[in-house]
Amino acid sequence: MPSASLLQWRNDRMPRLHHVDLQCAASLAALAPNPQLIDENLRGYVLLLSAHFQGFCRDLSTEAAQVIASKVRRSLQPLIQSHFTAHRAIDRGNPTVENLRKDFERFGFTLNLAADPANVPRLQHLAAMNTWRNVAAHYGPIPPGAPLSLLSLQAWRNSCDGLATSLDALLYNELRKLLRRAPW
Amino acid sequence: MAAKKAAQAFKLGDRVTVEYFPHWRGKIVELRGPLAPGGMQVYGVRIRQKPKSFYVELREDQLILIPEGERSSSRKKSDGS
Repeated sequence: MPSASLLQWRNDRMPRLHHVDLQCAASLAALAPNPQLIDENLRGYVLLLSAHFQGFCRDLSTEAAQVIASKVRRSLQPLIQSHFTAHRAIDRGNPTVENLRKDFERFGFTLNLAADPANVPRLQHLAAMNTWRNVAAHYGPIPPGAPLSLLSLQAWRNSCDGLATSLDALLYNELRKLLRRAPW
Repeated sequence: MAAKKAAQAFKLGDRVTVEYFPHWRGKIVELRGPLAPGGMQVYGVRIRQKPKSFYVELREDQLILIPEGERSSSRKKSDGS
């Protein structure tokens, strides 16, 4: 059973990103394409993609923390909850592998997304997405390699979708072991 | 204790205290959504404490609304007016 965070990702965040995708495609297909508008749309898309994936990861972290806290005595719960949110990296930082590891390893396991071979190219896409997210947000220098394109953004979105499902499943299994029952 | 448990959902900016932790007083800064078991609402609360405030995510049933009257009287006291 998927978490509430994954359902939100699938039923709200992904459709929203699909609308942005359509807007980018429309600006590319215009009779007289406006290169500046295309560039702005693509920059907007990468920012939103990163923000939604970060939001999903943050939601999942919160959901897991709330499940664990609910298993202890009520008078102790706020202490447990405050420890899970203290200095949480994805509250402010990009959803990088390092930040995800810092935050999700608080739940008592080693987060190794690359253990699933399907995640290896997804993690490369995640790194590229985070690089371009910073370029877009800070108008930084364009990194070497292929320019930002709708095709690459669509691939990164699919990779984020795969990573979201993978992260949800990993956390489900780990919490199930810890709690000896389904966490959600 | 003048504060009472709120029956309704909380809003951004509501001042609250925490069940079992009456010295934790703060403000709702984020509506996190139905992320607690049973679909219960979770709120991001900024707790004002010295030397540094902190952020914590709590369920709706752990929060106690601080009524407006109590807020203004405590503010007057702290203002010395």
